[in-house]
Amino acid sequence: MRSRSLRRPETLVPLASVTIMIVAFAMIPAYTDAAIAPFDVYNTFQIFARLGLLALALGLTMIAGEFDLSVVGTYALGGMLAVQAGQEHWVYGLLAAVAAGGVIGLVQGGVIAGLKLPSMPVTLATYITLLGLTSALSGGLTKTYSNPSVTLWVDQTVLTFFSPRSLLTLGLFLLAAVVLAVTRWGRELRAIGGDRRASQVAGVRVGRLIVGTFMLSGMLSALGGSLLSFSLGSANPDPGVQPLIVAAAAALLGGLSLAGGRGNALGLLGGIMAVALLAEIVTVAALPGYVTQLFFAGLLGVIVVIDAPDLHRALLRQRTRLRPERNPASMPITTRELS
Amino acid sequence: MNNLLSAPARPEAPATERAGRRSRTEIIIVVVVVLAVLAAIVAGLSTPRFATVANAKAIITSASLVGIAALGLTLITIGGSAVSLAISPSVAAVGMIFLSAQSLGLAPALVLAIAGGTLITGLQGAVIGYAAANPVLLTIATSFAIAGLATGISGGETVSPTGTGYDRLNATPGGVALSVYALVGLTLILEWLLRRTAFGRTLYLIGENRRAAWTAGLPVGRTTTVAWLAAGALFAVTAAFTAAFNTSANVNLGGTLTFDAIAAVLAGGTPISGGRGSALRTLAGAVLIAAVSDILLLRGYSTGVQIMVKGLIVLIVVILVHLHAKGRNA
Repeated sequence: MRSRSLRRPETLVPLASVTIMIVAFAMIPAYTDAAIAPFDVYNTFQIFARLGLLALALGLTMIAGEFDLSVVGTYALGGMLAVQAGQEHWVYGLLAAVAAGGVIGLVQGGVIAGLKLPSMPVTLATYITLLGLTSALSGGLTKTYSNPSVTLWVDQTVLTFFSPRSLLTLGLFLLAAVVLAVTRWGRELRAIGGDRRASQVAGVRVGRLIVGTFMLSGMLSALGGSLLSFSLGSANPDPGVQPLIVAAAAALLGGLSLAGGRGNALGLLGGIMAVALLAEIVTVAALPGYVTQLFFAGLLGVIVVIDAPDLHRALLRQRTRLRPERNPASMPITTRELS
Repeated sequence: MNNLLSAPARPEAPATERAGRRSRTEIIIVVVVVLAVLAAIVAGLSTPRFATVANAKAIITSASLVGIAALGLTLITIGGSAVSLAISPSVAAVGMIFLSAQSLGLAPALVLAIAGGTLITGLQGAVIGYAAANPVLLTIATSFAIAGLATGISGGETVSPTGTGYDRLNATPGGVALSVYALVGLTLILEWLLRRTAFGRTLYLIGENRRAAWTAGLPVGRTTTVAWLAAGALFAVTAAFTAAFNTSANVNLGGTLTFDAIAAVLAGGTPISGGRGSALRTLAGAVLIAAVSDILLLRGYSTGVQIMVKGLIVLIVVILVHLHAKGRNA
């Protein structure tokens, strides 16, 4: 039982990627002049905290068989709201950001579930709208957060390796892992990602579940953006597409599938840690910025190609064709049965 | 032969039976569209300096660069590969090639640029066409790869033109920018390709149902690759015009072009799921967005508000197109 569950992609992919990255990380002294300091581990967790909630938000919608492109828009808006509404007290900023994320998710989920629209164009339109809204709120400028004690608090070192920000992100991941594994909501989420019609027939309230997932996704991205703004002491109206790319790579390395229905929060955690370790390795080895871009591009490209359905079919066809076959006419049928 | 080449006639639906069922959605859609058009006319006429010839030229000129790239994206979307998120970096890379090849003369530089753009985008199309890789994620990855390579090769520097031939692309024959003629001409060619050629009809079928097209023995991989190759050529044309206009090119030359082009395609009413849409619709979408941005600009709204309204237009059109398609299928 145990060995079988290890071979499943949602366990195998994150386990393999984390292991490779940890080995590469531990071997840093072998190929650079730098030694590993506890600060490097701390920094890896800081990178994790920067992306973790965004990847979790995207990952939850991916498990449900959707793809929420708007997470980066909500991330930017959340960060901006946290700074602008939180000048007096950080709680107001956090509440404003999370509430806005919830409302955005409610509207998007409502449109997607209510009208049975594909999530890509809707969340793309929301993404553009949110970037515009964030830019309009800030006048297109980076806003500074004039409460340095909050900035110092979220990034202070705890237990050598962590900060309150990375511990909070880790905590939310563990919570998500328990909820996804144990509760009915978690099982139903995977069910609607796997086969929506069948789960509808089986009595899952698909519409409600999708709205809830998008609300959660919006709140998590907004929270991630707020924490980042608090940490940086400023909010940037346009984070660019890089966070989305990295979050998508992390989700795929975490064993999630674009087709939906597959994955769990612990695998996702592994995927993000792999990405964070890679980013830290590039930093420690002092490689130029574009090399990081090429690394991530290669990583994501390889996963996307491996995940491509027709590639499997073509390989299978090739393998079938290599076998000695007396009657070539029967080949297509064999292929179809195999796939 | 003529019959074979013409567009398949649409069987007339029994109108009376269907009208009742779809009427409510259809009425809502018509009302919304009429109201939106009225609102746009009122907003336009009440905005000072909107209804002038000079402003009309400004709108169509600003629509032309996005429009040409959006035409390329239209091919991708109709063929069922959703969108490319790598338009901006491709345009930036091709713009750099175009300007650094100016010493060879305008025509060789254009050929080089178009060849480069076709290759960059066509390779992605081959992976999507033959392996059915997810186009959104693949192009996210390639956008990183192209931007990274362009930065690495150029050393992060801005490329300056090595000759002056490029300036002929900034000509304004008859008082209208050359890019506008290019947009109109390319729209007509593309519309003909989509409606009247075997390639176009196959592309629609693949977009409608990839699996069925594959089962029917249609060349899914090849047709998708050709669509992406053509899209790459169109991105390259945009790149040449943009680079010539800016007289320099760096990694940020593409700017927000990726999302502008997607907005133009979707605002024109081409559904992202594929199988429907046309070049003319994309032209209309590009002009619509340029006109609305122009109204907002003349009324003194910030860039942020312009982007926000663009997103809302896309959202509303996506919903209306979806409701319309559902009403038709019901």
